[in-house]
Amino acid sequence: MAEQLIFYALAAIIVFCSLMVISVKNPVTAAIYLVMDLFLMAGVYAIMEAHFVAATQVLVYAGAIVVLFLFVIMLVDLRSESVTKSGLSGLDYVTILLTALSFAGVGCLLVFAGEPMTTGGPLTPDVIESLGGNTYAVGMTLFTQYLWPFELASILILLAIVASIVIAKKDSSPKKRRG
Amino acid sequence: MIPIDNYLVLATVMFLCGIIGVITRKNLILIMLSIELMLNSANLLFVAGSKMHNNLDGQVMVFFIITVAACEAAVGLAMVISLYRKYGTVDTNFLRMLRG
Repeated sequence: MAEQLIFYALAAIIVFCSLMVISVKNPVTAAIYLVMDLFLMAGVYAIMEAHFVAATQVLVYAGAIVVLFLFVIMLVDLRSESVTKSGLSGLDYVTILLTALSFAGVGCLLVFAGEPMTTGGPLTPDVIESLGGNTYAVGMTLFTQYLWPFELASILILLAIVASIVIAKKDSSPKKRRG
Repeated sequence: MIPIDNYLVLATVMFLCGIIGVITRKNLILIMLSIELMLNSANLLFVAGSKMHNNLDGQVMVFFIITVAACEAAVGLAMVISLYRKYGTVDTNFLRMLRG
């Protein structure tokens, strides 16, 4: 029961923070709400006994990605934009309404379709516990079955580093350079 | 034991928040924050599926999604900085070169 109570509390705060992320005017406030959101998501993952994912969420998402966002927000001068907040047009409201309706349909399907059919895989919580915990089991899967995608991910990160440096650096082509 | 439905509904609500943010926000950085919200809801779905099927593939997939999200944020923010340097704004009301 305690688990359930904690989950519902976390879910309520997550929904609140998500709404704040998309509604506050100040980008720094939005980023801070996103950090809170990500931390609480890590809590939800911990409830689901996905400890490795929870740790990665805190380290990479809340620790690295949002810090990157905050740096860029502070580099870019946003004062001019935050004042000229253009209101939503009528078309925007129609779009929001239609999106919300379609998602409400999806939610109803999820809730009223009954318990989903499960294939009942081999790694029940007891088996994972006997293997040596969630992190060990995920590591075994990652470095055996998914070794090749893992190596490709490192190449992807290298590409992203080079690409972001090339895109963000000052344009230094000779014709545009001024003495 | 929490029913799987709860996770699915939470992920749906988060995705809805993200997509409304992408539609309504006029600031490129805030649009990217909303995209992060949507990626998170996808992660939650993967972990819920992993729990439901007693299979760890979903959690490994979340690891890869987080990798791709980090790369996406890095490259996207580099593009935001480059745009800001060139046009002095990150407001999509002014950045409409690609809008026919």
